[in-house]
Amino acid sequence: MKKLKLITGAANEIIMEREFAAPRALVHRAMTEPALIKRWLGNECSAVIDVQVDLRVGGSYRHVFRRPDGVEFTFTGIYKELGVERTVHTERFNDMPGEAVVTTTLTESDGITTMLMIERFESAQVRDFVLSTGMADGAGLSYDNLERLLSEL
Amino acid sequence: MTSTQLDVTFAALADPTRRAILARLAKGDASVMDLAEPFAMTQPAISKHLKVLERAGLISRGRDAQRRPCKLEAAPLRDVTEYLERYREMWEQRFTALDAVLADLNRKPKRRRTP
Repeated sequence: MKKLKLITGAANEIIMEREFAAPRALVHRAMTEPALIKRWLGNECSAVIDVQVDLRVGGSYRHVFRRPDGVEFTFTGIYKELGVERTVHTERFNDMPGEAVVTTTLTESDGITTMLMIERFESAQVRDFVLSTGMADGAGLSYDNLERLLSEL
Repeated sequence: MTSTQLDVTFAALADPTRRAILARLAKGDASVMDLAEPFAMTQPAISKHLKVLERAGLISRGRDAQRRPCKLEAAPLRDVTEYLERYREMWEQRFTALDAVLADLNRKPKRRRTP
């Protein structure tokens, strides 16, 4: 299975691509059903303490996380499109103004599902802020070498 | 690295020509003339891109008045890479957990939650 590929497309985007060894109907379920979301969205850096999903177009979702230092943060949004092939939802971090639009496309071939997730933020500044919060959540990691960066950016 | 510096670096990297210039400089220093050739661009057009890269601290220019060779400065790139890699690692951790959920669902595909 190919590892997660992350690229920055436009200055306000984060694009992620990843393969899963499962039919896309299952991947879609695992990404939208609260009981299943709870099983993979959290980790030791940020535990998931609440997942609420109103799974219909126009319905909202709410993911509440808690960091080990006790600080809680919330992602909320509205489902704009809900298909097994393509899901579009908005995303708001805490009560910050502005929201991102996340488009998730699932393509299935020979039982392998390829996910393409495009996060489009309101501005490059918001995108960079999100990347920097990701940094705070991450574990200690080694630097990439320059050549790899240049080939992936 | 402050978010403003990060913005400047990301903005400089947002252009494919500038990324190609950096990729070329990763192989060694080059003059504006060397850089203009493979891109089929005029030297003033390349110079514009070089100014953006220089302001972002991604390259430095030599003192030789004639050639002013361009040199890649790796530090801002390493900072950006670190941000991207940590974000990627956070999601990879989630998706690895999702792999396990999917394997579990795959093992019992017929099972339905009964009311």
